[in-house]
Amino acid sequence: MSAAGHALALQGLSKRYGSFTAVDDVSLRIERGQFLTLLGPSGSGKTTILMCIAGFVAPTAGAVLLDNRDITALPPEKRDFGMVFQGYALFPHMSVAENVAFPLRVRRMGAAEREAKVRAALDLVQLERFADRRPSQLSGGQQQRVALARALVFDPALLLLDEPLSALDKKLRAELQDELKALHRRVGRTFVNVTHDQEEALSLSDRVAILNHGKLVQEGAPAALYEAPRTRFVADFLGKSNFLHGTVREAHPGAFAIAAGGTRLVQAVDRDAPRPALSMPVLLSLRPEKIALLAEEDTADNTVEGRIVTWSYLGAGFAISVATEDLGLLRVTLPSWGAPIAPAEGMPVRLGWSAAASVPVAEDAD
Amino acid sequence: MEGAHRPGATAKGLAWLVAIYLVLPIGIILPVSLTDQRFLSLPHESLSLRHYATVLTSPEWLGSIAQSFWIAVASTILAVVAGTLCSIGCWRISRRATDLARAMMLLPIIIPSIVYAVGLYRYFARLGLLDSVLGVVLAHGVTGIPYVIITVSTALAAFDPRLEQAARGMGASLGQTLRWVILPRIAPGIASGAIFAFIHSWDELVIVLFIASRDVFTLPRRIWDGINENLDPAMAAVAVLLILFTLLLLLLDMALRRRRDAA
Repeated sequence: MSAAGHALALQGLSKRYGSFTAVDDVSLRIERGQFLTLLGPSGSGKTTILMCIAGFVAPTAGAVLLDNRDITALPPEKRDFGMVFQGYALFPHMSVAENVAFPLRVRRMGAAEREAKVRAALDLVQLERFADRRPSQLSGGQQQRVALARALVFDPALLLLDEPLSALDKKLRAELQDELKALHRRVGRTFVNVTHDQEEALSLSDRVAILNHGKLVQEGAPAALYEAPRTRFVADFLGKSNFLHGTVREAHPGAFAIAAGGTRLVQAVDRDAPRPALSMPVLLSLRPEKIALLAEEDTADNTVEGRIVTWSYLGAGFAISVATEDLGLLRVTLPSWGAPIAPAEGMPVRLGWSAAASVPVAEDAD
Repeated sequence: MEGAHRPGATAKGLAWLVAIYLVLPIGIILPVSLTDQRFLSLPHESLSLRHYATVLTSPEWLGSIAQSFWIAVASTILAVVAGTLCSIGCWRISRRATDLARAMMLLPIIIPSIVYAVGLYRYFARLGLLDSVLGVVLAHGVTGIPYVIITVSTALAAFDPRLEQAARGMGASLGQTLRWVILPRIAPGIASGAIFAFIHSWDELVIVLFIASRDVFTLPRRIWDGINENLDPAMAAVAVLLILFTLLLLLLDMALRRRRDAA
């Protein structure tokens, strides 16, 4: 298949149902060949956005542009987008090959060419042997691959995926994540994926757009979002996070210090970032895996003492909850191999992290 | 169901009573149709097929059978096309107004047919449709629509609307989606509706009594006249043939359902 991805842009997209605003002024650009994921909890408007892109939902305001051409008013059948639906929506009365041939049949393609394309598409998802089966005779993962083949067979301008892996069990999901990623590389097309699964979003995408209450909260590369969440919601939704409340006590170029109860915490920032005002309240997000258990002689930019309240063994690591006087309950994860301690309830511990480990985040508006 | 408790004696007895109650009036007609007498009665000395012979050689009876059959076919086509399109339309738009429209379409089986017939009579008189095959086809077609609406709506309720979205998303026009995706999925429902609409027209009497006089003489109407005029046992023979034919259609419907459930 030729590498002919298209760029897509959303401009001020809004969708209201009566007084309910499902999508609120979302602007987004998806570059050629990119894999973008719309991530958000249920009711965040991510599926509505996808349906607006597909043409099944008409936006109340705003525009959808494909390569700078306004397609907002174009009906879905004229858009030439491939789509993998939640639950796949395979035609149960057709065989696998007939399902994959469907988009070609509606385009009135000749039988010989059609057959060759269907074979190539089934080959792409390694299902050549199942061409004559009915969808009901396939496993969930195989059905998912048929849906992919059907969505890609007509060389669509864009591939839309609506929670493509949500119906599969965990192990299969991980497998198909890898396949989907490889497929994206192979076909070089622009993919727009919708999911509520943050792990899936992080591992699959070139870029992730995080939505909440119909608004675009933050958008960027997965690592950038994870390492530098701008709001509490992003830090909390994408991975796990501890939140530390305090007020600014000192401000220097490249760092400031806060008082959280009786504890002084140092926070590194960009040297050219605006300095926070003194006694301004701030919120820091601190990832559990960035906290270390300190031995007696170790030092760190920030340290705090507490007691283990609960702990669980997760195979690859420990998840430990530590009660501290000034910072409340802190969640810490440690690799279990070479862990400095064997955790036990009530055990006193000293925690430490560097000034660059945490990141200041804004409270969310709602 | 395996492992379920078997019904008790009382429940079983009651079930049989109801079954007998339902079947008995039909059962009585069979011996009557085989009577050797010249009037409507049970056979006296021996069983005879003479009344069947009368029916199958009489031009009146054969004419009525043919007329009923063609009226039923035409009105079934009318009911199926209108009912299916209406169901699909209501299903696609799916607002409160469409619920109302669907309820309205069921009126012919809710309103007593005699009321309906009186109304039809007044309109048909003005339109010159009284005592015409076209008039009866229209009347039976319209009153057959509810059966199609019920069965097709049921089939559509089980239809995954994402299949339609998927088809449209892949570039299929409305016509292509209808032909290749929606109709094949709801075909069993349409077939059921067609069978019921056919049976409805095939044994409909009240409306025909009102709007037909000399030219249109459907089978139920000839039976009715037969009873009123001369108690000819040939009627019983016709009734048995009618029952057999209807039974055949119902078996066909069951077979279609079984095939659909197996698929």
